Amino acid sequence: MNTPAAALRVAGLGKRYRAKWALKDCTFSVPAGRVCGLVGANGAGKTTLLRMLAGLSRPSAGTAEVAGAAPADDPAFLAEVGFLAQEIPLYRRWSAEDHLRMGAHLNPRWDDAAGRERLQSLHIPLGQRVGTMSGGQRAQVGLALALAKHPRVLLLDEPVAALDPLARRDFLSTLAEAVVEHGITVMLSSHLVADLERVCDHLVVLAEGRTVLADDLDDVLAGHRLLTSGRRDTAALEREHTVLRVERTARQVSVWVRLNGPLHDPAWEQSELSLEEIMLAYLGMSAGRPDESVVREVSA
Amino acid sequence: MIWVLWRQHRAQVAIAAAAVLAFAVPVLITGRKLADALIACRSGNTCGGLFDGYQAMTTLVNITVAVPLLIGVFWGATVVCREVEAGTTALVWAQSITRRRWLWSKLLALFVFTLASSAAVAGLVTWWSNTHNAQVESRFNGLQFDIQGVTPVGYALFASALGFLAGVLWRRTLPAMATTIGGFVVVRIAIENYLRPHFMAPLVRSLPMSSGGDGVPSGSFTISKELTLHGHVLSGPITAPTGCSRSGTRETMDECLNASGFRFRVTYQPGGRYWGFQWIEFGVFAALAVLLVASGVVLLRRQDG
Repeated sequence: MNTPAAALRVAGLGKRYRAKWALKDCTFSVPAGRVCGLVGANGAGKTTLLRMLAGLSRPSAGTAEVAGAAPADDPAFLAEVGFLAQEIPLYRRWSAEDHLRMGAHLNPRWDDAAGRERLQSLHIPLGQRVGTMSGGQRAQVGLALALAKHPRVLLLDEPVAALDPLARRDFLSTLAEAVVEHGITVMLSSHLVADLERVCDHLVVLAEGRTVLADDLDDVLAGHRLLTSGRRDTAALEREHTVLRVERTARQVSVWVRLNGPLHDPAWEQSELSLEEIMLAYLGMSAGRPDESVVREVSA
Repeated sequence: MIWVLWRQHRAQVAIAAAAVLAFAVPVLITGRKLADALIACRSGNTCGGLFDGYQAMTTLVNITVAVPLLIGVFWGATVVCREVEAGTTALVWAQSITRRRWLWSKLLALFVFTLASSAAVAGLVTWWSNTHNAQVESRFNGLQFDIQGVTPVGYALFASALGFLAGVLWRRTLPAMATTIGGFVVVRIAIENYLRPHFMAPLVRSLPMSSGGDGVPSGSFTISKELTLHGHVLSGPITAPTGCSRSGTRETMDECLNASGFRFRVTYQPGGRYWGFQWIEFGVFAALAVLLVASGVVLLRRQDG
């Protein structure tokens, strides 16, 4: 079996605004055909990263490769990449129909019929001004536009953040169908872990402008454990594995850990972690150091 | 991109076209009438009351001095800024069109419109004012220089460019509009008062006291009138020489002052330079417009780089 080529490859990518690095030393790759979740706290650099990948902003450091080419303000590159910004920008006074016609005028591979069918099947009136539509409908129009462009890589910046649960579900199933149908690679940023678990099979986690995790979703789930023990000492553990979070109580210590190999010490009791718990453990770290906390037990 | 621009700005174009048309109708009708009336009254030398009853029309024509500013505020300050403000730039730039092409298309549309609408209004005003010009001392006076010929087009190009740059700086439409109004008025007044009189080296005439300072050729642009004594400019209260009796008539007084070396010195630009001045003023504003557009383009590229 040959490994599929990477659709996204990022090495040492950084972006500086004046003196402050919004993103620094970001390195990961995503194989073609994957749906990759991009996770990070607010201000972690998710939007900055996606804008650079979309060719809308120039990196201050490092390199990026999207669908085999470096992002650039160039028609050939732009045709390969779909981008849906966080606010789902649309012309409020235009109808969905107008937006589709704009797409047809500005893109070489525009699939007008598919765009129309997608919106009609969602019962979105093509003639209605998008300014009068619900947030869910607007998001669907935005997604339909991005998909009708026939990109090889689709970048979505928190597309479902403002949507209600039902609209979110509909949006993500439209996305999932399109991925199956066209084999596109998707990178999607979100705060909502449940949504990521539904559609993603790959994960990139940013914290403080750096990548702290980039891996296949199944490997992520398999490679992280919650370890508990009556012992207090975590030094031996930290030498072999990556400790994300330590919580101490008077009687025991709990350690959220990424296993870098088999766990030898039988003193630790292992349990699986949910994706949400893993995310939280990463987001709680600061400057690469574990999140340490001491919990005082309330006497009964 | 042409379709996109048309879809985006068709309402603005329609409003502007309707306004120009609504202006053209009375201008054409009264312009014809006045031209005929001028020919008729010239033979009888009764042209004094030619514009009686045309007060409203004269006011309407004079109001066109504000047309460049309107173009700058409602077009210049909105065409790019409204997209930046609404975030729709992220929608357009996500299509297979480069940001460079998008921006230049937008600017091209803006300036084609600015040129077309301001030239249409200025052309109508210039034609209508043929009759009016025949009745006034000089085309340099009042608003005549600012609403006729090519200067209004230069002002409009400048106003649009200023609106564009203000929009890039503010990234919000309302403050960009306000900045356009303020900046336009200040620059227009400054150039009109401090630069325009010096576009060409003025001519100077020394006139006898009896002239009262009037004596430059008709159609001239009078810059200054000064009282001189033996060639030196006088300022402040003037004491008549003792030899000149206060009790005499005005004529004997002027006679006496002349003999003592008093003269009026008038600095002026002759009427024949009118079109030269028109093109220079146009050139100054067009050059400013180019400068502002270039700054806006560089700034916009830096903002989102």
